[in-house]
Amino acid sequence: MTARAAPAPLPPATTVGLLGWLRQNLFSSRGNGAVTVVLAVVLVWFVFNLGSWVFVEADWTVIISRAPLYIVGLYPYEGYWRLCICLLLISVLLGMAWRAWPNAARRFAFGFGAVMLFVGVFPHEMAPDHRALLLLNLPLIGLGYLLTPRPADASPGRLEAMAGSALSPALERVAIFSTPRRKVIAVFVALVLTMILILGIAGVPGLDPVNPQDLGGLMINLLLAFFGIVCSLPIGIGLALGRRSSLPILKVACVIFIEVIRGVPLITLLFMSRHILPLTFPEDLNIDRVYLAGITITIFSSAYMAENVRGGMAAVHPGQAEAARALGLRDWQNTLLITLPQGLRNIIPAIVGQFISLFKDTSLVYFIGMLDLVEMGRVSVQGNQEFIDNGREVYLFIALVFWVFCFSMSFISRRIEGALGVGRR
Amino acid sequence: MAETNGVQAAVDIPADKAEILARPLEERDDIVVCENVHKWFGDFCAVRDVSMRVKRGEVVVIFGPSGSGKSTFIRMINRLEEHQQGRIVIDGIEMTNDVRNLDAIRREVGMVFQQFNLFPHITVLGNITLAPQRVRHLPRSEAEALAMRLLERVGIPEQAQKYPAELSGGQQQRVAIARALAMQPQIMLFDEPTSALDPEMIKEVLDAMRELAATGMTMLCVTHEMGFAREVADRMAFFDEGALVELGPPDQIFNNPQEDRTKLFLDQIL
Repeated sequence: MTARAAPAPLPPATTVGLLGWLRQNLFSSRGNGAVTVVLAVVLVWFVFNLGSWVFVEADWTVIISRAPLYIVGLYPYEGYWRLCICLLLISVLLGMAWRAWPNAARRFAFGFGAVMLFVGVFPHEMAPDHRALLLLNLPLIGLGYLLTPRPADASPGRLEAMAGSALSPALERVAIFSTPRRKVIAVFVALVLTMILILGIAGVPGLDPVNPQDLGGLMINLLLAFFGIVCSLPIGIGLALGRRSSLPILKVACVIFIEVIRGVPLITLLFMSRHILPLTFPEDLNIDRVYLAGITITIFSSAYMAENVRGGMAAVHPGQAEAARALGLRDWQNTLLITLPQGLRNIIPAIVGQFISLFKDTSLVYFIGMLDLVEMGRVSVQGNQEFIDNGREVYLFIALVFWVFCFSMSFISRRIEGALGVGRR
Repeated sequence: MAETNGVQAAVDIPADKAEILARPLEERDDIVVCENVHKWFGDFCAVRDVSMRVKRGEVVVIFGPSGSGKSTFIRMINRLEEHQQGRIVIDGIEMTNDVRNLDAIRREVGMVFQQFNLFPHITVLGNITLAPQRVRHLPRSEAEALAMRLLERVGIPEQAQKYPAELSGGQQQRVAIARALAMQPQIMLFDEPTSALDPEMIKEVLDAMRELAATGMTMLCVTHEMGFAREVADRMAFFDEGALVELGPPDQIFNNPQEDRTKLFLDQIL
C-alpha cells in the first residue's frame, strides 16, 4: 500500500490513565463511590489493627522455638540431615523444571531457593552442618538447571549468554536430563531416594529406620498429599477408563466405587481405615496408621481424580476419535494415544486444584492420632503452660504456611497451562 | 476425466496406477459397490436406498443441500456410520461387523474431514507417522521418510516439526491429506474439505486434491466447489433428502440435468 492510513484517534481522556481507571472502576456512580469509600475505611482499619498486633503485640518465640516440631514433627534429630538431603534432591528437580519450563517453574525455583536461604541464615539455634546443607540447595538448583538441555524453542538464558559459545559444548555434554524419559526417570529416582531417606532401611548404618508415627508436622501433610495425588492419578485413570468402558460389569463396578467414595467425607473414611478395617485383618497384621492414612487418602483422591479424567476425556472433540478410527487405529490405541493425553492436558488445572484441596484435607489425619502441622500447633499451645496464650500466633503461622504452599501451587499450575497451551492447541 | 486435466505430466504415477489409468473408465473394475444402502438416525431416514458403483481411479463429487445425507453416505464407506440395510463392498471386501474386515477396509480407505481433526498434542510429523507405525507397523525411520515425502508432495515439508495449531487452516488440511495418504489407501474420502477454510486457502487444498486425482487415486468428495467438480470429477452425484437423485458426468449435471431437483439446486448455488 502506498497511501498511509490516518493516525488512529485517541481514546477520551476520562477512560485512560489512573484517573480514568479510578473513575471507571471505583467511582462510576455516586452509589459506587460511597461503597468504595466505606470499604476503604474498613480495610484500612482492619489492616492497621492486624498489623499492629502482628508487629507489636504478638510474641513469635513459640514459632521459632517449636519450628522443628511444626516442620518435621517428632522426627529424630539424628536423622535431620537425611531430610536435608531430600530437599537437595527436590532442588535438583526444581532446577530441571526451571530449565525445561522457564515460564512455569522459574519463580517457583527462586522462591524455594529464597526460603532455603532465609532459613539457612536466620539467627536461631541450628547445627552448622544443617545450615550448610540448606544453603547447598542454592547451588543444586543451578546444577539441576545445567544438567537439563535448553528447550529447542527457548532463547539462550542469561547464564549461557555470559558464558558464551566456549562453554556451550561443555554444557551440552553434562545435560543428562535430555529426553522426557530421562526426566521421568530422574523424578522417579528422586522419589524413591526420598522415601528411603525419610523412612530409612534396617541394617544400613546411618539410615536407621524411623518409626512412621514420628513423622509429623508439615512434612506429613506434604507427603500424604503428594503421594496421594501421584498414586491416585493412575488409579483414577483406570477408574475413568472403566467408567467409559462398554463392559457392563466393569462399568458398574467403577461407577459404584467412585460414587461411594465421593459420597463419604474423608474423615469418616479415615476413621473406618483406623478402627473398622483392621477388624477384618488377620491378628498379627499390624499396618501403621501412617500407611493406612496414605492408602485412604489415595483411594479418596482417586475417586475425584477419576471424575476429573473422565471430564477431561469427554471434552476432547469427537472428531479426534473419528480421525483415529478412520486411520485404522483400534479403540484402545485411540484411547491411549489420542483421547487420554489430550484429556489429561485438559485437566492439569483440575489436578492442581485437587492437590491443593487434598493438601488441606490432610490436616484431618489428626482424627486418627497423627501429629500433622495443625495438630502439632494445637498440641504445642495446649500442652505447654509457657505458650498457652500464643494460640493466635501459632494458627496464623499455620495458615500462612498453608497459604504459601497452595498459592505457589496454583501459580505454577497457571504457568504450566500457559506453557502447554491449554485451550490453544 | 483424470487423464485430461493436464497435471498428469507433473506427478509421478506408480506403474500399476498408470496401467489402470490408461484404460477407459468403463473397462475398469468397481472398487466401491453400494447396493440399496439405508441409514436411519432414530426414526429419521438419513440415507435411503442409495446404490452407486465407483470405478478404480474414478473421482466422484457428491453435492446437495445440507441434511441431504451426503456426508452420512461417505462416512458409511469407512464405517464411521454403520449402514442398517443394503450392502457395501470395498475393493472386494464386504462391510460386516467382522473386525478383520473392518480393519482391512479402514486400511483401504483414507478420510479427510471438514474440521481437519489433526491430533493437536503431537507434531505434524507425529500426526502423519502415528498410524503407519501403529497400524502398519512400519519402523519409525521408514514412517518418517514416508511422511516427509508426503509433506513435500503437499508442499509444506518445512512445517514437519510444528504443532497443528501453529499452521494455517489450509496447511492443516494439507497435513490431514498427507496423514490419510500415509496409510497408502486405495480410496480417499473428502468430507467438505474446504468448507472450514478462509477463501484464500481453498485453492491450496484444491490443488493438492487435483494433484491426487491426477495420480489415479479413487476419490469421493463431498464439496460445493463446483469449479473443482467441473474440472476434476469423472462423475457427479446429487443427493437430496437422503436419496441419490442424479448421477452423471459433470457435462450432463451442469448443462443438461435430467432431474428437476438437480436443476433447481444448481440454479440456487451457481
